[in-house]
Amino acid sequence: MCNYNERDRASMGQRVALELDLVKGLRFFDPHIHMVSRTTDDYQAMADAGVIAVIEPAFWVGQPRTGIDTFRDYYSSLIGWERFRASQFGIKHFCTIGLNSREANNEALAEQVMELLPFFIYKEGVVGVGEIGFDDQTAAEEKYYRLQLELAKEAGLPVQVHTPHRDKTKGTSRSMDIALEHGLDPGMVIIDHNTEETVKEVLDRGFWAAFTIYPFTKMGNERMVELVRQYGPERIMVNSAADWGISDPLAVPKTAALMVKSGIPKETIEQVCYQNALAAFSQSGQLDEALLDEKTSIDQGKKFAGNSILRGGQQPRRDTDSIIIS
Amino acid sequence: MNDVNASFANQVASYVADGEWKALRDQVGHFIADPQPNTLARIFTAIPRTVKSAGKAEFITLDGPTHTETAPLPLVVKDWPLVRLVRVWVLTRVPALEQPSYLSLIERLFSYGDVEELAALYAALPIYHYPAAWQLRCMEGIRSNMAPVRQAIIVNNHYPSQFLDEGAWNQLVLKAFFTDEDIPNIIGLKRRNNLRLAQALVDYAYELHAAKRNINPMLWILAAPYLDDRAHQLMVQILQEDMALLTHKAIVYAFRQSNFGPAADFITRNSELTDLLDTAGTPWDDWLDQTN
Repeated sequence: MCNYNERDRASMGQRVALELDLVKGLRFFDPHIHMVSRTTDDYQAMADAGVIAVIEPAFWVGQPRTGIDTFRDYYSSLIGWERFRASQFGIKHFCTIGLNSREANNEALAEQVMELLPFFIYKEGVVGVGEIGFDDQTAAEEKYYRLQLELAKEAGLPVQVHTPHRDKTKGTSRSMDIALEHGLDPGMVIIDHNTEETVKEVLDRGFWAAFTIYPFTKMGNERMVELVRQYGPERIMVNSAADWGISDPLAVPKTAALMVKSGIPKETIEQVCYQNALAAFSQSGQLDEALLDEKTSIDQGKKFAGNSILRGGQQPRRDTDSIIIS
Repeated sequence: MNDVNASFANQVASYVADGEWKALRDQVGHFIADPQPNTLARIFTAIPRTVKSAGKAEFITLDGPTHTETAPLPLVVKDWPLVRLVRVWVLTRVPALEQPSYLSLIERLFSYGDVEELAALYAALPIYHYPAAWQLRCMEGIRSNMAPVRQAIIVNNHYPSQFLDEGAWNQLVLKAFFTDEDIPNIIGLKRRNNLRLAQALVDYAYELHAAKRNINPMLWILAAPYLDDRAHQLMVQILQEDMALLTHKAIVYAFRQSNFGPAADFITRNSELTDLLDTAGTPWDDWLDQTN
């Protein structure tokens, strides 16, 4: 979710050339990305850069939905078409399902969404309830945050918590207070979109701290490098939260490359760009190392061709440097 | 439960740990006693959680068509993940309620299905009660962009050839060529072949030829009984242009099967082509013997 402002190039810091060779051979897990908003070119680039798995949290679609059917179709797309689309590029697609904070403010609709959620959260590959939490920090947001925490507890699922842009530090503390009040184990809660201001408390209280590398409005990856230097890799994970705004689906591999350049040890990079997300969300029982190791069958079983993206297990590439399309 | 269904249940059970199978049978038993939609939805969705032994990497093939109690048509279980096999078994246990209740019970599963659930639901088309009522659902599934879902209907499934009308059947076959499916494993391909389909396939062949894309040789086998001048011209041209052996074999075979005079003449004039009539190892090897 970005606010686009024209920015002077000079104010954006030093430009570092894109060298993904630095992370060749590493595997990445982006635990927060909204692939419904991204193109096949993004999937291709992510696969090329070493992204082998993603988690797509349910969120709002850039404007408020007006009916329950669009919610249902959206949730269905996360466990259906989007899962299949990712598989064509060898990327494992998981999701978290929940009512986002903005739309929690439409209470009449929110009530209907709450009735819908149990049909989705027990699906295969649903690794948590998310992204839920606060935006404006209204009473309605709090009500549905609490109800969904209960739902997650009952289902034994991790929770992916969106923290607010405005009044962030207080909103983050409050999100954690409420989770503890409902008896959730902080080890089952991933607090997302952290900053330098929030990270210490999140880690001290035993929660997972996720950082979103998102241009202009959230973390930059130079700051991320410094944070990892300061706090180490434990319970920290990096994501892109790439969506329909000006965002970057390669934020995780790019951040890893910058970490390599900055002399961060490889084990640390693997932890924050792969292992910690796996550890946190595998608590759902829907995800494990073996599943990620298993080659997504870009095979006869999932072959998709003719009018489309894959043919006989080969991913045809668009030649972006040619004006010929054939 | 009669022997037929017992044997399907036994086959499924042999892939599932004893404790898990018993728990699942108990759940299904409760559902049969009180068939509530939510109960079925919970059992159906939770199978990967309740049947942990349903390893994701394991693919199962059962020999021959699998008949189940009261099911209108047999199942063909070929390279199914175990979760699909178990889910389809659960669906065979759904009691034949009044038609509207039965349909809404199953339809509800379709409207909330993930990729693998949808594949199981469509693979189960042959075993649903009120078989004629599932035509529109079947047609909807053929439109799916999710390959595993579409394939669960198009390939190794007895339902479409038994229940789709000609227009819908032809769409299935055209879609199968378009998405590069395993054409010889479409059940009923020979029995349901028809003039309109053959004409549409030849049009498609012209389109592919103009785009310089490959043409699946099976297309010529389906076109064979209905060859005309338009088809013949393109086939002769492709024999000259395309070097692929299987393409040559398919066209020569189609010419030999055809009653269209110029096609037979072409083979007579080019006697060296008769060497290509050997069908061993081709996808249409058992075409003449097919009856379904």
